[in-house]
Amino acid sequence: MPMVLLSCDSAIPERQKHIYLKAPDEDTREYLPVSNAATIPGTLSERGCAFCGAKLVIGGVLKDTIQMIHGPIGCAYDTWHTKRYPTDNGHFNMKYVWSTDMKESHIVFGGEKRLEKSMHEAFDEMPDIKRMIVYTTCPTALIGDDVKAVAKKVMQDRPDVDIFTVECPGFSGVSQSKGHHVLNIGWINEKVGTLDAEITSDYTMNFIGDFNIQGDTQLLQTYWDRLGIQVIGHFTGNASYDDLRKMHKAQLNVVNCARSSGYIANELKKQYGIPRLDIDSWGFSYMAEGIRKICAFFGIEERGEKLIEEEFAIWKPKLDWYKERLQGTRMAIWTGGPRLWHWTKSVEDDLGVQVVAMSSKFGHEEDFEKVIARGQEGTYYIDDGNELEFFEIIDLVKPDVIFTGPRVGELVKKLHIPYVNGHAYHNGPYMGFEGFVNLARDMYNAVHNPLKHLAGIDIRVAESNTADQYARAEANPVYQRFFDNPNQASGNDSLMRVAG
Amino acid sequence: MSAEALESKIGDLFDYVQERCLWQFSSRTWDRQANIDGVLAKAADLFLGRSPSRESPEDKLHCAEASVLVSDCRERYPWTGSVDETEVLTLMEGLKSRLVDIAITQSKNRELNHHLY
Repeated sequence: MPMVLLSCDSAIPERQKHIYLKAPDEDTREYLPVSNAATIPGTLSERGCAFCGAKLVIGGVLKDTIQMIHGPIGCAYDTWHTKRYPTDNGHFNMKYVWSTDMKESHIVFGGEKRLEKSMHEAFDEMPDIKRMIVYTTCPTALIGDDVKAVAKKVMQDRPDVDIFTVECPGFSGVSQSKGHHVLNIGWINEKVGTLDAEITSDYTMNFIGDFNIQGDTQLLQTYWDRLGIQVIGHFTGNASYDDLRKMHKAQLNVVNCARSSGYIANELKKQYGIPRLDIDSWGFSYMAEGIRKICAFFGIEERGEKLIEEEFAIWKPKLDWYKERLQGTRMAIWTGGPRLWHWTKSVEDDLGVQVVAMSSKFGHEEDFEKVIARGQEGTYYIDDGNELEFFEIIDLVKPDVIFTGPRVGELVKKLHIPYVNGHAYHNGPYMGFEGFVNLARDMYNAVHNPLKHLAGIDIRVAESNTADQYARAEANPVYQRFFDNPNQASGNDSLMRVAG
Repeated sequence: MSAEALESKIGDLFDYVQERCLWQFSSRTWDRQANIDGVLAKAADLFLGRSPSRESPEDKLHCAEASVLVSDCRERYPWTGSVDETEVLTLMEGLKSRLVDIAITQSKNRELNHHLY
């Protein structure tokens, strides 16, 4: 099956290179969606910006660091508290937001003085905090503010502080992926190796690409504690700034999110000779496999088997309860990139769920190699999907539940298709054994939520009071507005396709 | 072992690796080649009941990956319990050839040969 041109993309046929429908006996030698490429003009992309990739995804997770955003206030607000990554020090990172609040006069006359003043103000207001990351944004990068020079000056004035700068304005890449890259490479080159670690175990590792979404890191830390493995640096879940300056002291890099953080793992291997072990920490069988590999690396296999046995005894019966009830559920995964390949086989094997469509906002071609190798035939694989494409794909594959972000989630909720927050979770953590049961619970509750039925009832339309979502769509004329696609023959035709 | 049976067994192993093993999809050509060579060399030792060397950190990594691969394949494919040394080496060579083909030689990933990470 060649790449797919959806009917809604008839005016932007370039989109065909980004959408693949897997057919029997095909593999990635024949077809691979073009990805990490500039968004095509005319498409309503769901992507974020490069600055967001650096700040919201990685830097903003740190628990003891002022995140100074050098730009207009909106850049700060829109990358604050939209992702729930708690910390064990009272969630400092989620309570506060910092911005230089650039106005027109600062853009005209330069913002360096305002940045310097803001940095001092922030340190003065929070005297216990001695670490800061400064981010440029589009306007401050365009006017050429030298944030490194300002940071150097502030560090001279305040010898007890340490500051890292991320020069990654929103326009600097095709998606948030560029921000991941800039922060990773900047950190390894400027900060790793600048502090020594206190070694407390014979077994040390960095855990890379886990951001403590709703407690993921803290849950996994209970495993590493039980195994007697010291984590030098969590990149960056529940981590302190100084932890990450010591990453060169670990014996092993364990990587979960290879897209956001693979760069630093590769550089730690290249510069310090620390090997990189990629694992999936979502999924029951994957988590067990990851623990077995880590323990095999250190030669402590028996500890790993004991841990897996204990966790299975607690959580496997609960997982099986959900598996019995989720068998055959049709799921779409529309997230950033790696969760496509982390989840597609784990929900299939562990929960009996069929993944029928996957879309990645910022994945690279490497991510599509992984997901197409793992994913099913008859499934759509989409790079940088847009809103109309999502509606058309829903029409084609009729998912029972969609794991995506709140923005796309609001769209699909209007079709009364349940969505689960695939980025920041509904009720996580989702990693580890317990976490995957949480994911199963949220999926089950979404699919069987009675509100889905009740919200679809229009008391003026008697036939709308039915549990069948597609019959409701047929009965209720209000649904037509969501399929008002000029490329389709008529509103009624669209409605009939939805009604199935 | 007939050529057809050999191809079928290599196909089994290839399907397993494609589905389960992230090491084949490392960021760059040289990483993928090192992983394919390293893991399959250790896997050959383990299939033959030998203890692979664990001297360097890279050795230990490849041993860890190979131990899970061999354990899973023994469970999935009972025929792996009755292969001799020549057959194991032939199977690993065949598997390596297919993995290099899909993950390196014919990969459409445009970032594979970028000299920087």
